[in-house]
Amino acid sequence: MKRPGKLARVARRCFAISLAIKTENLSKIYSQDATGRPVGLIDLSLEVEEGQIFGLLGPNGSGKTTTLKLLLGLIFPTRGSGQIFGLPLGSNATKERIGFLPEGPYFYEHLNGIELLSFYGTLFGMGGSRLAARIEELLHLVGMWDRRFIHVREYSRGMRQRIGAAQAMINDPDLLFLDELTSGLDPIGAMEMHELIMELRDRGKTIFLCSHLLKDMEPLCDRVSILNQGEMCQSGAVEDLLRVEDQYRLLISNCSDELTQQLQTSAQHTEAVGNHFAAYYADQSGALAAAQEASAAGAVIEQLGAHHRTLEEVFIEAVGGEE
Amino acid sequence: MKPYKIIGWLAVIALIVAIQPLDRSVEYNRLILGLQQPTPWFQIAARGAAGDTELAVTGVTGVIVGAALGGFREVAATMLWMKTHEYWHKGEALQAKSLWLMRLVTLLDPHWLEPWRVTAWHLAYNLYVETDDPELRAKYLQMGVDCLREGVSWNPDRYDLYMELGWTYFDKVEDFEEANKWFKAAMRYPHPEYVDRLVGHAYERMPDVPRALDAYDYCLKRDPQDHTAKGATLTIRERYLWPWYLAEQGRYDEALEAINEYLLAKPSSSLGLHVKGHIAERAGKLRLAYDTWKLAGDISALDFLAQNKAVELAHELGIETEDTAQYLYMQKMGKDLKVTIPGRDRMSR
Amino acid sequence: MMRPILRVARATFHEAWRRRFLNGILLFAILIIGSSWVFAYLQPGAELQMIIDIGLGAIRFFGMLIAVFMGTRLIPDEIERRTIHTILAKPVSRAQFVFGKFLGGAATIAVNLALMGIAFYIVFAIKAPEFAAAKPEDAFIFAAMYSNIAKAIVLALFEIWLVLGIAVVASTLFSWVLSVIFTFVIYFVGQMSDFFQQLSDPGRGASQIAQVLLGALYRVLPHFEIFDIREAILQGTYTPWGTMLQTMGQGAAYLVVVLLIGYLVFNEREV
Repeated sequence: MKRPGKLARVARRCFAISLAIKTENLSKIYSQDATGRPVGLIDLSLEVEEGQIFGLLGPNGSGKTTTLKLLLGLIFPTRGSGQIFGLPLGSNATKERIGFLPEGPYFYEHLNGIELLSFYGTLFGMGGSRLAARIEELLHLVGMWDRRFIHVREYSRGMRQRIGAAQAMINDPDLLFLDELTSGLDPIGAMEMHELIMELRDRGKTIFLCSHLLKDMEPLCDRVSILNQGEMCQSGAVEDLLRVEDQYRLLISNCSDELTQQLQTSAQHTEAVGNHFAAYYADQSGALAAAQEASAAGAVIEQLGAHHRTLEEVFIEAVGGEE
Repeated sequence: MKPYKIIGWLAVIALIVAIQPLDRSVEYNRLILGLQQPTPWFQIAARGAAGDTELAVTGVTGVIVGAALGGFREVAATMLWMKTHEYWHKGEALQAKSLWLMRLVTLLDPHWLEPWRVTAWHLAYNLYVETDDPELRAKYLQMGVDCLREGVSWNPDRYDLYMELGWTYFDKVEDFEEANKWFKAAMRYPHPEYVDRLVGHAYERMPDVPRALDAYDYCLKRDPQDHTAKGATLTIRERYLWPWYLAEQGRYDEALEAINEYLLAKPSSSLGLHVKGHIAERAGKLRLAYDTWKLAGDISALDFLAQNKAVELAHELGIETEDTAQYLYMQKMGKDLKVTIPGRDRMSR
Repeated sequence: MMRPILRVARATFHEAWRRRFLNGILLFAILIIGSSWVFAYLQPGAELQMIIDIGLGAIRFFGMLIAVFMGTRLIPDEIERRTIHTILAKPVSRAQFVFGKFLGGAATIAVNLALMGIAFYIVFAIKAPEFAAAKPEDAFIFAAMYSNIAKAIVLALFEIWLVLGIAVVASTLFSWVLSVIFTFVIYFVGQMSDFFQQLSDPGRGASQIAQVLLGALYRVLPHFEIFDIREAILQGTYTPWGTMLQTMGQGAAYLVVVLLIGYLVFNEREV
């Protein structure tokens, strides 16, 4: 998995500070709930650098789509501001350089794949053989070439998603907004999409992903921000968020009560994970010793190694910490 | 508010103001071209209030729906008109509600000629015979004539209502001078040929023999094959021209003799009697004139001119008489039958 | 600048023909127009007038219906089906989008009206000479009818475009039902605008406030009756091109006002 190294990021910061997206206190307040807490998006300040895959994560209703609509100029902020490539949100100059795949996309039902892409292409002033070539390329890319004459009204959800991705890329955008990219796609389709995105990133494009599937985004994103109830609760580079300094985990099953008590005394802390039992240690040797002990006691070693959290854990921790 | 919005709304107001002169100009041109047809809302409402309430609601609703739809205003008129047909078949055509509905149709679609014609016909003909009261009859005659006059004012470029108005004067009022005025107006627009002949007929009955001949001459010049005009010319020349000529010369006794000679052969000829009455009046033989007109009026119940003359002369001679509807109508119109005799003017000239 | 407008217009035009409801209205209108000669027999002696009343009346009435029901759906459908999201995310400004939608609707109206007009011309050409022959004295009226009908349809087109504009703008402001009602009311009241003028007549004892208010209402409302030249057709009057151009100009001016309002409203509308 290729990720720009820390050095590269530092270099980028020092020499070509070009932010794809920048928002300051971007807010969209729809109403207030019973406790007087505002509902909507509250004071979102983001900085997305060029050439990154950025994930805006959070459960349904956390304000992801609102953020997206604000960035695209479909709705207008209650307060705060934002810029894309240094240009105001929603201007035609901005929109020339971006692509957008909405969640569960809808298109004119009476068009077929080629007509649909040609419609969107001409909105960019494209035309002629250049557009035709671009459409063919994209249809191949999203695996819709064989189905290019089928009308949108006969599309399955997965096909809509694929043609949606194609229309988002019609202008070869520098910044791509993708809302729930893999919804409606089978695992293979989802994987293809992920590969596509990383390929785009390697070509220097910036990708802005919105998803509630934290697990899926984990291997994909360079940076993420996690939203909960309209507020950002975590933000940073994925590896930073996931790494837990100096922690090693031993996961065993078939664990006797005696062994449990032993491990509880030796480990920093322990927990039951389903049928399994996990013990955490500050150093590798301690974990190794405990593993030998457990093995001797007849338990089964399921896993042993440096501990990484999942984004879900990060999220739950962040939300839990708030409460 | 953002500046572009303020500018935008100001532009909207400015545009609406700027449209006004154009708007007025369009309205003006439409008025000139006769394209504007304002709906007489208050007239309709007033009529509704005076009429049957239920019907007023129907009518006013019809008018509003029709006018509101714009496109279907005439269709609404047609629907209301069909309702009057319904009354007609029920024998209620002469009731106030039916007449009011007809009037509504003429208000709604004043360029539709049929309702004017039929409404006037109901008034001057059908309501007229419903009563024996001369006063009432005179009133109906006036209403019929007024209805057609209003129709003419809406449709001044069509011969139809001029002709209809002329015909009502000709046939029902027997004010031939007035009839000819309208026949001649009808002739200024494309019209069927019988209108030309009606002018001749009117002069003939008035009587004004030379002008009748002129009118028929016009018909013949226009269409040499006009047998009616040809026949009328021959009859006039044969029967009335000579007595008329003598009367013009002031040779009244000879003129009366000449017309009597013809009347011996055809004692009930109303035209003959008219000529005789006319000559007798010119000669100053009012009693003879009275007897002649009276006779003509008695022979034909529809010879209103003769009856009018008889009433008029009776008043002059102090003979007891009963006023006819037509006489009352003429009186109301301020018409003195004596001065309407063109022959007299010519004599004095 | 123009390209996205035209592209949106084209898509709108193509989509409009797929609406069964609008096709149904068109079909029904053509049926009515096709049978207008049957209605003509309702008015013996005035068959020509009747065939024109029904024919042109149907063109204007059904054209207006199509404009209202299509116009009030053009933008809300895009919003509800969320197709607007992908379009506005492309370099299409809201103004371009609104004008594009309107233009597409206007083109649809034009074709609808042309179809109805052709149907009417066919019926007229078949039946009218027969009716005209029965009244030779009206020959001059009949002679002017062919060109006058064409002029009437052209003016009806402007009238219905204006209705469409109002419908489109209303739909960005109100819910669907409300915008349909609003458009109908504006159309009907606009047809009756002379009523307000009569009401505000001081000779009728209108109070000063009523005079000002009604007068203003009369001035602001589009006067739909100016697009009606059936009087000319029925009277056989020649309608000069100067007046035609003036009337079309006024229709266009009203349209500019309506679309400008639409732009001002829609530019801040969240989708």
